[in-house]
Amino acid sequence: MQADFKEIYTQYSPPVFRVCMGYINDPAQARDLTQETFIAVWQGLSSFRGDSKMSTWILRIATNNCLRALERSKKIQTTELPFDIPERNEEQIEDKLAFLYKCIAELEETERIIISLLLEDLPQAEIAAIVGLTEVNTRVKIHRIKEKLAVKFKAHGQFE
Amino acid sequence: MDSLNDLKKVWLSADTCALPDTAGMMRAIHKYRSQKLMKKVALILTAICLIAVMVSVVFLYKSVMISTRLGEAGIIAAGLLLVITNIGSIGRLYDVKNLSNKEFIIYLEQVKINRAKYYRKTQIIGLSLVSVGLLLYIYEGVHIHLWLLLSAYAFVLLYILVMWLFVRPRVYKRQARKLDATISEMKRLADQF
Repeated sequence: MQADFKEIYTQYSPPVFRVCMGYINDPAQARDLTQETFIAVWQGLSSFRGDSKMSTWILRIATNNCLRALERSKKIQTTELPFDIPERNEEQIEDKLAFLYKCIAELEETERIIISLLLEDLPQAEIAAIVGLTEVNTRVKIHRIKEKLAVKFKAHGQFE
Repeated sequence: MDSLNDLKKVWLSADTCALPDTAGMMRAIHKYRSQKLMKKVALILTAICLIAVMVSVVFLYKSVMISTRLGEAGIIAAGLLLVITNIGSIGRLYDVKNLSNKEFIIYLEQVKINRAKYYRKTQIIGLSLVSVGLLLYIYEGVHIHLWLLLSAYAFVLLYILVMWLFVRPRVYKRQARKLDATISEMKRLADQF
């Protein structure tokens, strides 16, 4: 079991961290949430029956963990977006990532989760299974989130 | 926005090197498990020690008054109740992170009901046993001198009153407030779906 877990951790800890980071927008807290997620994965691994994909199961734990980290979520960084971000061609990837995190942080909690999963390249059916929505509802939600993000990007002259 | 693919590229560029390696993760898991279990085990061991002390007192100190025997029985019974309740709650330390949001809300509501039941029944029985037990137990030792009797009973009564009227409701209310806040926050999040 320990060997399986190590393999699982190596494979899934980066996506879990990115999803947590998308939700909480704080590297230290995202690390803690990732750690808590894998503690839960370790605890539940022996009872995981394979009813869903491993990635679905782990990311469901991660997203539940994020949504239930109430004390932490009060500290989410949603500070004003800077209006003087350098032109796109001069921009570093880190700046773009920081800007993306800030835009996501301004969304509702569940929207943050959904967009993070979408950016992890998960199919909509899997996102629906993780968040407990129907595929149709998930599609509608994704469409709305994309619209909201597009407005934010446009307002700040990013990714145009 | 150029396209979702551009955003994905940016998204995947996040630095994940600061995550602990597998060995670090395994250490964190073992530390977490032992910490969580140790709190419960420490409480159970303390209660067992209390029972052991009282049982040895029963055999070592040959009391002449029935009040002392009743007091000892009350304190031992309260200790046993504490042990049984906490051993039962170890089984409830299962993982709830795989529950859906609706299931989690139901779980929290159940926790709320269980806590209220514990506060109104089990805790009252336990505290009553230990309070009456203490009051009866000390009588034999202090009844000879009036001043000793009065001061001992004043002290014990004050302790019991503080526990009943201040500590117990305060702890319960604080836990209930926290649980209510969690439930309402989870309901708010569930409404977003």
